[in-house]
Amino acid sequence: MQILTQLIFSGIALGMIYAVIAFGYQLTFATSDTLNFGQGDALMLGALVGLTLVGLGINYWLMIPLVCLFGAFQGAVVERIGVRPAIKIKSEFGWIMSTIALGIIFKNVAENVWGRDDLKFPSPLPESPLKFLGANVLPMEILVVVGAVLMMLAVEVFNRKSIYGKAVVATFNDRDAAKLMGINTGLVITFSYALSSMSAAFAGVLIAPLTLTGATMGAVLGLKAFAVAIIGGLTSGMGIIVGGIILGIAETTTGFYLSTGYKDVPGLVLLLIVLAVRPQGLFGKSAIKKV
Amino acid sequence: MIRFTKIATAVALASMSSFTSMAMAADPIKIGVDGPFTGGSSSMGVSMRDGVRLAIEEINKSGGVLGRQLQAVERDDEAKNERGVQIAQELVNKEKVVAVVGYINTGVALASQRFFQEAKIPVMNNVATGSIITKQFDKEPENYVFRNAAHDSIQAPMIVEEAITRRGFKKVAILADSTNYGQLGREDLEKALKAKGVTPVAVEKFNIKDVDMTAQLLKAKEAGAEAVLTYGIGPELAQIANGMTKLGWKVPLIGSWTLSMANYIDNAGPGGEGARMPQTFVQEPTNPKRQSFIISYLKTFNPKNARMDSPVSAAQGYDSVYLLAAAIKQANSTEGPKIKAALEDLKTPVEGVVTTYNKPFTKTDHEAITANIPVFGEVKGGKVVYAYPDDQKKASVVQMKK
Repeated sequence: MQILTQLIFSGIALGMIYAVIAFGYQLTFATSDTLNFGQGDALMLGALVGLTLVGLGINYWLMIPLVCLFGAFQGAVVERIGVRPAIKIKSEFGWIMSTIALGIIFKNVAENVWGRDDLKFPSPLPESPLKFLGANVLPMEILVVVGAVLMMLAVEVFNRKSIYGKAVVATFNDRDAAKLMGINTGLVITFSYALSSMSAAFAGVLIAPLTLTGATMGAVLGLKAFAVAIIGGLTSGMGIIVGGIILGIAETTTGFYLSTGYKDVPGLVLLLIVLAVRPQGLFGKSAIKKV
Repeated sequence: MIRFTKIATAVALASMSSFTSMAMAADPIKIGVDGPFTGGSSSMGVSMRDGVRLAIEEINKSGGVLGRQLQAVERDDEAKNERGVQIAQELVNKEKVVAVVGYINTGVALASQRFFQEAKIPVMNNVATGSIITKQFDKEPENYVFRNAAHDSIQAPMIVEEAITRRGFKKVAILADSTNYGQLGREDLEKALKAKGVTPVAVEKFNIKDVDMTAQLLKAKEAGAEAVLTYGIGPELAQIANGMTKLGWKVPLIGSWTLSMANYIDNAGPGGEGARMPQTFVQEPTNPKRQSFIISYLKTFNPKNARMDSPVSAAQGYDSVYLLAAAIKQANSTEGPKIKAALEDLKTPVEGVVTTYNKPFTKTDHEAITANIPVFGEVKGGKVVYAYPDDQKKASVVQMKK
C-alpha cells in the first residue's frame, strides 16, 4: 500500500510537470486553432534565463516575474514571425513548420549561449523530502502541483469572468464573427501566444530544480506534454490537469508493476485510444465544424 | 578494376607520402583529435582535448618529434555517429593526418574507425570503453586500432568485485540506461555477477533525459537491494542519486567510471556523495610526474574550483599523445604501417600519467590498460578521491601492465 501511495504521489508530481507545460498548447489552441510546437523550447529558454538571473544573485521568487516577461515577449515574437503569416493566408500547415523551425533556432541559440551541458538549478526550497501518508514528497514537487492548479484557475477565471477572456473565447468560437463585432482578433491571437510562452517559461523555472536544466531539456518534456494535452482535451484547463495525472501515474505504475523498459507505452496507448474514441479529449468540448 | 584502382591509389599515396616527407621535412606532423566538445559527453571530450593539447605543447617545446612539430587537428563529433564518419573522412582525405587520438563514445568510435583502418592510419582510443572497440578488425591481417583506456570487460568485474567481495553485499540491483553503452555494460555486469554466483535482484532500464526514477528505485528497494550498480552517463546518474534522496532510501551507488563525471557530481550535490567507480587516474599528486601534470593542467586551462572536469579523460588524452610520439620516433617515419609496427613493439618504456607503459601493445593485444591498473575512486566533497587509503599510499608505485 505504501508503495502504491509513493508511486501515485510521484506520478502526480511527474504528471503536473507535464501539465504545466501542456497549458501552453491549450492557450494558443483556444484562440487560433494553432499550436506552438516550440513549446518545449520556450520552456527551456525560460529555465535558462531564470538560471542566469539566479546566477546574477536575484532571488528565485523575484526572478519569476522577470522570466514571465521574457516568456511573453518570446511568445509574441513567435506569433508575429511564425504564425501570423500562416493564418493570414489561411494556410493549414504553415504554422506547424514555422513553429518547429523557430523551436530549433531557439535551441541552437541556447546551445551557443549556455552550452550543451545539463546544469543544476538551485532549489529555492529545502531538498529533503517530507513524509506524507507514508510516502515521500519533495517540497519542490508540492510547489509544482500548486503552481499547475493556480495556472489552471487563473486561465479559467480569466476566460469566464473578464471581458478580455470573453474576447478570447469569442475569437475561438468564430474568428470572423468576432472580428465583425469589433474584437481585434489579431491582437487576441498575439496575446494568447505571449500568454502561452509565458506559462511555458514559468513552467520552466518551476520544474527546473527537479529536472536539470539545459538546451535539450525541452524536447522530451514538450512531447510528453503534447500527449497530455491530447488526452485531456485541448480546450479544457481541467482536462490538462487530469490528463497530466493520468499519464504521470501510468508511467510510474507501469514502470514498477510491469517493466521500466515499457513505462512510456501505456500512456501512449491511452493517447491512441482517446484519439480513436474521443478525439476532442477526455474533457474537451466537441466543436462542430460548419463547412 | 576495383583492385587495380586500390593498388594505384596505394602506390600513389605511398609515393606521395615519401615525396612529402623528403621535400618538406620541417612540416608539422598532423595528429587528428576527435571527441565531443559540446553536449552531454563534453566534460569528457574537453578534458581529453586539453590533456592532448598539454602533451603536444610539451613535446613541441622540447623540439618535437623527428625534428618536426606536432600539430593537432581538432574536430567536434558532438557524440554523433554520422559526424564522426564525416570527420574521419575529412581527416583521412583532406587533412592527411598521421594518426588519430580520441573518441569518447563507443558508437562513434565503431562507426569512424574503419576509414582509418582502410587508410592504414593508427587510431589511439583514449576514452571510449566499449569492449569490442579494439576487436573490430580482429579478422583483418593488420589492426590499426589501439586503446589506452580501461575497457568495459575490466570495469564490470571490478564493480562486481567491489560490491560483492570487498563490501560483502549479497543483493544488488542494476540500473542501466537504454543506450548501447548502458546495455552492453549491463551485459558485462550480469556476466561478472554470474561468475560470482550472484543474480541481481532487479535489473532496470531508464532513458536519456528521464526526469523521474521512482519506479526503478522502488523496484530495487522492494527487492531488498543493498547496493545499486549503474551503467549510464552523468545527468541521468544524478537523477538516480536525487531520486534516492527523495525516497529516503540510501544505499551505495557503485558503477562504471562515468560516476566521476562533473555533471553527475554537480547535479547530484550532497546526494551523490559516496558513489564509487573505477578510475585510471585520480586528481592527486601521488608522484612527481602526476604532480607536474596536474599543476600545468590547472595553470593552462584554469578549470572551475581547480577541479578537472574529467581527470581520467585528461590523463588518458595526455598519455595517448606520448605513446604515439614514442612510436613515431622509434619508427623514424610518419607512415601508418611503420608507426603501427612500432606501437606493437615499443622498445623503450613511456612514462605516462596513468602508468609507465612498458611494452603496452603486442601484435594481438591492443589494450594498454589491464585490470591491475585502475583503482576505486569515490565522490567526496564534490570531487573524486581515492576510495581506499591503501590505494592512495600505493599510488606512488606505478602499477604496470601485467
